[in-house]
Amino acid sequence: MCLSGLGSDWLIEARSLTKNYGQHVALDKVDLHVPHGSIGLLGPNGAGKSTLIKTLLGLIHITSGEGKVLGHDIRTEGDLIRSKIGYMAEYDSLNLDLAAIDQVRYSAELLGMSPTVAQQRAHEVLEYVGLRDQRYRKIGTFSTGMAQSAKLGCAIVHDPELLIVDEPSNGLDQEHRGFMLNTLFQIVREGGRSILMSSHLMDDVQAVCDQVVMIHKGRVVVHRKIDDLAKQIDREIEITVWGGASRIEQALKDAGLTVRRMGRVMRILRQDESTVDHILDAAAKSQVQVRQMQEYEPSLEDLFLLIMDQLGYGTRTAADLLSSTPEGRVIGANSAEEGLV
Amino acid sequence: MTDEPLVDSNQDTEMEALDAVADSVDVSTEPSLGVTRMEAAFGSGDGDEDATAVVAQPGSIEGGTIFDQVYRPWRGKLGSRWVRNYAIYRHHVYGIISSKGHRHYHPFVRLALLAILISSMAALGFLLLASLIGDPTIMRGFGLNRVNIYTKILGFFPRNALFWPLLTALVIGGMISEDRAHGTSAIYFSRPINRIDYAAMKYLSVASILGGVILISYVSFYSLAIVVEGRGWGYIFDSFPLFVSGLGIAFLLIITYTSIGMALSSVSKGKFFPAVGFLSIILGTKLLAFLVDNLFEQSIVYLISPYDNLAHLGQYFMGIDLRYDHPVAFSVVSLLAINAVSLYVLSARVNSLEVTRE
Repeated sequence: MCLSGLGSDWLIEARSLTKNYGQHVALDKVDLHVPHGSIGLLGPNGAGKSTLIKTLLGLIHITSGEGKVLGHDIRTEGDLIRSKIGYMAEYDSLNLDLAAIDQVRYSAELLGMSPTVAQQRAHEVLEYVGLRDQRYRKIGTFSTGMAQSAKLGCAIVHDPELLIVDEPSNGLDQEHRGFMLNTLFQIVREGGRSILMSSHLMDDVQAVCDQVVMIHKGRVVVHRKIDDLAKQIDREIEITVWGGASRIEQALKDAGLTVRRMGRVMRILRQDESTVDHILDAAAKSQVQVRQMQEYEPSLEDLFLLIMDQLGYGTRTAADLLSSTPEGRVIGANSAEEGLV
Repeated sequence: MTDEPLVDSNQDTEMEALDAVADSVDVSTEPSLGVTRMEAAFGSGDGDEDATAVVAQPGSIEGGTIFDQVYRPWRGKLGSRWVRNYAIYRHHVYGIISSKGHRHYHPFVRLALLAILISSMAALGFLLLASLIGDPTIMRGFGLNRVNIYTKILGFFPRNALFWPLLTALVIGGMISEDRAHGTSAIYFSRPINRIDYAAMKYLSVASILGGVILISYVSFYSLAIVVEGRGWGYIFDSFPLFVSGLGIAFLLIITYTSIGMALSSVSKGKFFPAVGFLSIILGTKLLAFLVDNLFEQSIVYLISPYDNLAHLGQYFMGIDLRYDHPVAFSVVSLLAINAVSLYVLSARVNSLEVTRE
């Protein structure tokens, strides 16, 4: 199969990438052209994220299609790809009997660094991830946050062009989570490196990444910049009312507005600048107090849930209790057809 | 009796004044009511406009940054495949000597290996004793001959009943199983290390440690026997084929024990099962075959015992009396089959090691 069609300017390229495990299709004709930067990899459990990561690392044989990472063929140049990639696993992947400095040094040696260079680099990296004073401690005595930092140290010891991180803030408290996300952000901003981040925490992805790839049932359903994606969501105005919620709901509907309601909290589809005036008019007519009014900014989690809903995945969270009427959560008119993927 | 009034008239006057103040304020809103009463009671506000208080100020660091997180790029060149492979080998073998910075072997394991090494060289002491007191009987018992060379490698007790199985069990426990248990396989396979290199280097590490102990005791025995018996070059040339045969069966033993041990390590997630499993296979099959042979006079059942296959082959190579009735070719085939199955299990299990979550 000819790879000449794939250029090398992309971080990740895939064309009709397919991976079957027997009858099960793990990756189904994945087409991707990901530029350098920070990318969030999202998808429900079993969507194919892990398979995609393993494929990009050149660890598994693909069934059909073609792909390149950093310009190298994933089918034939797996070793070369892995020497340019740093991978931070989700689960514990550290030797608990080793000191942090020895673990990072060994990780560097496994990449081909000489012991002297690896030792020097391990010191630098552990300082960067905030473990300078703990580098001679055994990893078995580390807290979860410190162990995560040590894993990150192992992943970036050779200054990889692409860092793949799997659930980097898993099990971290707020302070360590912030530090981890800030460190990852710095790697992109100051180090000029690219990150592919798989996480279930949308806030984490939003904090670090500027684009997302969403996978569902082995297919890439969305690949967009987060900002662009947010623009496709209809804006809503959220109000909290007192005294006659049903009356104002009816008044808003009579005014031609789309309303979603849960108790005294309502979200009204923002049609134009006059929507706020319509809401206040409706409140005055129905003699209801509007105690709070704010423009509701859709988060990445909203986007994810919305897209998964549209795909029929049926994801449900507390926020979804608001979607009593599906029309309130409609993506922009043309997005479902052409915009998302 | 005094004429003093029971109630202080001045107090009444103060109460009236306070009531007047309270009546004068606007009590339509609750917050101002509270403040006003406070002011009336304590006179707060009097002179507050001019008063200054000493208040703690937010600190500022001017003496430098405590932790300056700066990304440091690295522009070095990574070494070749063999640099990476040697790192794996060194990590596991050096750990026997010093756990600092290398694979951690429990101090008991390292002490046990030392004890096995010293015990396996006990014959050297008898050789020295024989040469010192000039006793030919002791010299014949412990000196250089076919049977003694065979015994130094394949003698059942104590070497193959105790030393070598225990040595192998201690070393292979956790060699691969701990990577599976702790997820450290991701450290290897997310780097440019393929599974063949990973398994091969681990295999070589175990074989090197076994070989180190077995061959050191064997070579030192042969060398010391030549010295203390005062043999010349002619004898060395004559006995050299026997020495090489001994080396050959030592390598076979090391390979077979390593293969079985690594296969067991790859199928488990702990240290205990591979160690106990190995001892059970080596000693259990030997015991079973021994019992069947004694009860039914069927030596063919020794084919299930890795040790007996090696012993049969060793006796054939060393040219000493064969203690088994079945042809030596059967033992060769059995030995090949045992190694093949072990290596298959090892490769299959190493292939199943995951980089992402299992």
